Amino acid sequence: MSEKKIPVWIDTDTGVDDSVALLVANRLEQLEIRGISAVAGNVEVPRTFANARRICRLMGARIPVYRGAEKPLFRELHTAPYVHGVDGLGGAPLPASEEPEETLPAWDALYQAAQAADGELQVVAVGPLTNLAIAFGKYPQLKGLLKRILIMGGAAQGGNVTPAAEFNIYADPHAAQMVFKSGVPVVMCGLDVTMKAYLTPEEVTEIGSHDTPVCRYFRESTKMSLAFFERVTAPGLCPHDVCPVLFLTHPQLFTGEEAGVYVETQGALTLGKTVTDLWSDKQFPQKNAFVVLDVDRERFAALVRELLLSY
Amino acid sequence: MSERKKIPVILDGDPGHDDAIGWMLAKASPELDILAVTSVAGNQTIEKTTYNARRVCTLLGIEAPVAQGRPGPLLSAPITAGNIHGQTGLDGPKLPEPERPLSPLGAVELMAETIRKSPDPVTIIATGPETNVAALLLAHPELKPKIARISEMGGGIAYGNWTPAAEFNILVDPEAADIVFSSGIPVQMAGLDVTERALVFPEDFKRIRAVGNPVALVVADWLEFFYQFHRSIGYAGAPVHDPVAVASLLHPELFTIREMYVAIETQGEYCRGTTVGDVNGSTGRAPNVRCVLDVNREGFVDLLVDAVRAYDGKEVRI
Repeated sequence: MSEKKIPVWIDTDTGVDDSVALLVANRLEQLEIRGISAVAGNVEVPRTFANARRICRLMGARIPVYRGAEKPLFRELHTAPYVHGVDGLGGAPLPASEEPEETLPAWDALYQAAQAADGELQVVAVGPLTNLAIAFGKYPQLKGLLKRILIMGGAAQGGNVTPAAEFNIYADPHAAQMVFKSGVPVVMCGLDVTMKAYLTPEEVTEIGSHDTPVCRYFRESTKMSLAFFERVTAPGLCPHDVCPVLFLTHPQLFTGEEAGVYVETQGALTLGKTVTDLWSDKQFPQKNAFVVLDVDRERFAALVRELLLSY
Repeated sequence: MSERKKIPVILDGDPGHDDAIGWMLAKASPELDILAVTSVAGNQTIEKTTYNARRVCTLLGIEAPVAQGRPGPLLSAPITAGNIHGQTGLDGPKLPEPERPLSPLGAVELMAETIRKSPDPVTIIATGPETNVAALLLAHPELKPKIARISEMGGGIAYGNWTPAAEFNILVDPEAADIVFSSGIPVQMAGLDVTERALVFPEDFKRIRAVGNPVALVVADWLEFFYQFHRSIGYAGAPVHDPVAVASLLHPELFTIREMYVAIETQGEYCRGTTVGDVNGSTGRAPNVRCVLDVNREGFVDLLVDAVRAYDGKEVRI
């Protein structure tokens, strides 16, 4: 049984940290990536779609990439070029994919993959959760076919785009609420853990110093976001989206707690807040999520380095 | 030194065990001059918190006038906390009956008159929902310059208690809290971040009981009552919330205090009553609140023990 791989689907708004998450996931031998879907978020969907395909070419992987939602369910799209650059990959030169484009919409492709995986498919979703919400809307039976959804998004405490909300959830709070209410167990890697899962500037430089296409890409693409994290006084580069990928294969690196988690969709100041009952007297009736709160940073950084250098 | 050196204060609260202990600390502190006491609906109905306020004042020898607040929040229906404070709102030890009549003025009228007459700006120590304070600010904007600060217990930057995202005092009357926090008057906020670290354990209330005077015995009983309830819902000790609003005013050196922009969420499916703190400065707004975030617990307990000693020699007829 040990050689049986975990079938996984990756939903991404391929930005810089998304691309690192893809590079890492592709080298984890425990995983079998069945498909990738692109969603609007860090940048517009034509770019996130093209970027995911470019990263597949860089990895030398023939993984089908599907185009997803162009905008959140109800809100307007607000991208984050200040972190990811206008192109989404920090301006790093990377050739376009030469593979033919998939034409099936993301939600249909995800549903087919879930059916094919006999209830074993796990979804790693590292952008706004619009594609998943649309899939749940179209296929009510999908919730019975997914084993788990691991997201980068939210925060038990605080936020980044607003004092109360994190970017991915704030981008499409209604979609996120559909996911937390879906009945599929959710692993939430929010800012609580991702701001602790950083690479020091020295570690980033060291990885970038290796003369391979992947390390060169890493060096070029992270320049802009490293400068961003320095501006917001993070201790280094936080490749947020890597956390749910590594949680899948290396849960022992992380700690967290079961909790009830729901998304505020009606607040004036708290729109997009992931409300948890981790520390309150009042508890939600159900524990629908595992909230990841801490990470063994050094082992995390070492593992990311090892995987990036394995190309 | 002269009385002039004292900080003039109004105690506004919904006693409540921890309100009462906060008032005990206030009355024992020579730095404070208690000018008025006002009740607010919160832990129990306004009738019960008013009766309790008068009984506590009699116990402690607070001679300032006591006035009754509104029957409930500005907009929403009252919420009470009988599960914590009991049916009376102050279950536990027997207390003296009120010695002095209730003020003929309403809480906001008494606050306004007190502030107007005071030569120095007055500090309001608000340990219940912020209903009265907000009503005062709405009715008497001209008195704002004469309010030195509002030191309140309420909210929580990191989390809530009564709902996952909101603390009881703010949840009861979020509109009132919004008026207070956005008033421009300096606000000091003792929220759950600090008050759930201001824990009292059995060895602490044994020290208080050992002081032996009638007030000490009552305070020890209140703490024990509070401790038993909180143990039953999983706390390590009793979080004595409201005295932090008094102690952090008198002894800021015992606390970690951070200036922050804090706004009140009045809407939302889950977040009504959340105190939204701009921890990372993402709004770019200037701080409006001094947030009390942590406490030197031992120093805080020592303060309470010293405070009950101030009642040595005071006779109480219970």
